[in-house]
Amino acid sequence: MQTISRNPTRIFYWPIIALLAAIGFSLLGYAIWLCLHNVSLTSTKGTQFVGLRNFERLITDWRGLQALWRTFLFVVLATSIEVVLGIAVALFLDQEFPGKRLVRSLILVPMIMTPVIAGLTWRFLFNAQSGMINYWLSTLGIAPVDWLGDPSVALYAVLVADIWQWTPFVVLLAMATLENLPKDLVEAARMDGANEVRVVWHIILPMLRRTLAVAALIRAIDSVKAFDLFYIMTKGGPALSTETQNLYGYTVAFTNFDISYAMTIAVLLTVVTNVALLLLNRFAMPRGNR
Amino acid sequence: MPLRTLEITRRAILSAGAATALILFAGETSAQEKPFEGKQLAVLMVGHPTTDAVRKALPEFTAATGIQVDLEVVPEADSVPKMMLEFSAGSGRYDVVEASSIHLSSFVAAGYVSPLNDLATQHKDFFDEADFVPAYLKPNMLSGKLYGLPLFGESSFLMYRKDLFEQYGIAVPKTFDEIEAAAKTVKEKSNGQVVGITMRGQQGIQGVYIWASYLWGMGGSFLSSDGKSALDTPEATKALEGFARILRDYGPVGVANIGWEENRLLFQQGKAAMTIDATVNGAFNEDPDVSTVVGKVGYAPVPLQTSNPKGGSSSLSVFSLNIAAASEQQEAAWLFASWATSKQHQINSLGTDPNSGVTSRAAMESPTFEKRYGAFKEAMLEALDKGNPQYIPTVPQANEIINNTGIAVSKVLAGTMSAADALKEANDENNAALAR
Repeated sequence: MQTISRNPTRIFYWPIIALLAAIGFSLLGYAIWLCLHNVSLTSTKGTQFVGLRNFERLITDWRGLQALWRTFLFVVLATSIEVVLGIAVALFLDQEFPGKRLVRSLILVPMIMTPVIAGLTWRFLFNAQSGMINYWLSTLGIAPVDWLGDPSVALYAVLVADIWQWTPFVVLLAMATLENLPKDLVEAARMDGANEVRVVWHIILPMLRRTLAVAALIRAIDSVKAFDLFYIMTKGGPALSTETQNLYGYTVAFTNFDISYAMTIAVLLTVVTNVALLLLNRFAMPRGNR
Repeated sequence: MPLRTLEITRRAILSAGAATALILFAGETSAQEKPFEGKQLAVLMVGHPTTDAVRKALPEFTAATGIQVDLEVVPEADSVPKMMLEFSAGSGRYDVVEASSIHLSSFVAAGYVSPLNDLATQHKDFFDEADFVPAYLKPNMLSGKLYGLPLFGESSFLMYRKDLFEQYGIAVPKTFDEIEAAAKTVKEKSNGQVVGITMRGQQGIQGVYIWASYLWGMGGSFLSSDGKSALDTPEATKALEGFARILRDYGPVGVANIGWEENRLLFQQGKAAMTIDATVNGAFNEDPDVSTVVGKVGYAPVPLQTSNPKGGSSSLSVFSLNIAAASEQQEAAWLFASWATSKQHQINSLGTDPNSGVTSRAAMESPTFEKRYGAFKEAMLEALDKGNPQYIPTVPQANEIINNTGIAVSKVLAGTMSAADALKEANDENNAALAR
């Protein structure tokens, strides 16, 4: 610390840090103030101090708790499937073949696509009456599936869209690392007679570990925040089956205008997410690299 | 709260003072034609053909008054949060906003919008009260005061395929039981090629907007006369059971996620024999560019199951221009609002943009209107006459009530809960919201 504080460049960064800290803390203070009051844009009764009543309401709010569970489910499924699929695709692409550059640029397309366009595209693909997916299924003789209208299927339909959009991100990170891996280790193992599965499992994957941990962390943070696909594809329906905590907070704030309760939901989500991600960071990152 | 009241009063006094000064000033320079020359108005409007027409005609307004207009257009769902945030901060960011009249009572209760009566008597440049369709003007009146000018409006009606009804020998349904019987006949006789009926079932306002016809038509209502939620009644249960049953048995696959657009497309592509939806859909059905059922559609009032409902079973929704109380340019704002809803502009707008929801009688009687929308004009006027201004609740907590009710409708439609249980749940939530 001492060496840092004696560094003359501090006069350049201290004001910035102080400013950012001031903004951060004042926003945090305002957020806490909101949680302890009952600010509602439609209320005619005025704002009062309500103590912890918003938090009491939240822990007994069945709709909110279910939304939290759905967020958890979505984050775990989306992150793990995207990471596994991402590695698989990256390993497959990590060999020389004609048109590799083209494939690499094509794989980026879903990621670049505006979420609203991606959501609308999937919404039409999943349309039960005239969507592409049900049409293909019908050519195979499979009865139409009510993708977005069946509460037990809808969340997974949105999950598919999310996986389609964000697996390329993992592929991209993994490919960048794969290309920089020392090839001699792999070749030495092959010379010693290790088969491909063992090479991948014992040599390539351990070397990819750090990249994958970073990719998983970023994807987990993004999936907690996922909003656009849900909003466009289902708006939380049918029968609340796709309402995540994020979407619930949005509804409370911008449909019901219950600002204080929405802030309470957001604060809870932030706390839960931070704890979960710190744990993920603690266990997934190799020691010494953190 | 005392603080906020004080603030509003202070602002009101200030703006009243400013208005008086303006009037005096205007009186002095009455020889000058454009007393508001150079004024800049900020206007927030909803994405809609009427808004497009207003945008195209803005140069005419500026030429006539000298007022510059900065027009911001956002989707309907985003417009209310946006204006609410500005209103509650008292920013005066927008001088004129466009909003559905269902929000008016909460705007007025919170003092967000100005009464317009005085402005209406002072500036009659564009304003002609007698030209507005009365059903459209009425939702803008609150305890005898005018708070908004209707820009466009719509009601809802039953649309049915005349050709299919004739082929299968079905009479136009007048009750919900007859609708169900007709839907069954169509599905059976067409071997499932044409669905009996399609309606919006998406969770939220989409599903609630259509289900409300069933609710009122069965004799139910959202709120009781003492302002409590009334969704735990047998009428409401019957309405939700009937709505879910007909859609699950004779409706399209995926109905639980069908919104206005999907519903409209299914019907105009000839894949459904009936639908209950907004009158504006008539304009799409009769447009040969997008519809395969032009001339084959009949229009009838939304059915009624009971002979003495608490309110009509067809909706009445009006989008109006309101003037923000925090605006410091009340008179210029009034000129814009009255111009955008004027007879002349509305007649002209028929030539530039598709819109069957004009609020001017003169525009409705014009030849352009007759040519384009003649097929359903009569049915629309009848629906408007019977239109229920309380069709969707207008209390300040309306949004939350719609949200809770939407969840109940969606649960029953998706088959995860019985109508009585789902409505009981929504009823408790609504009462909690009303007490909050």
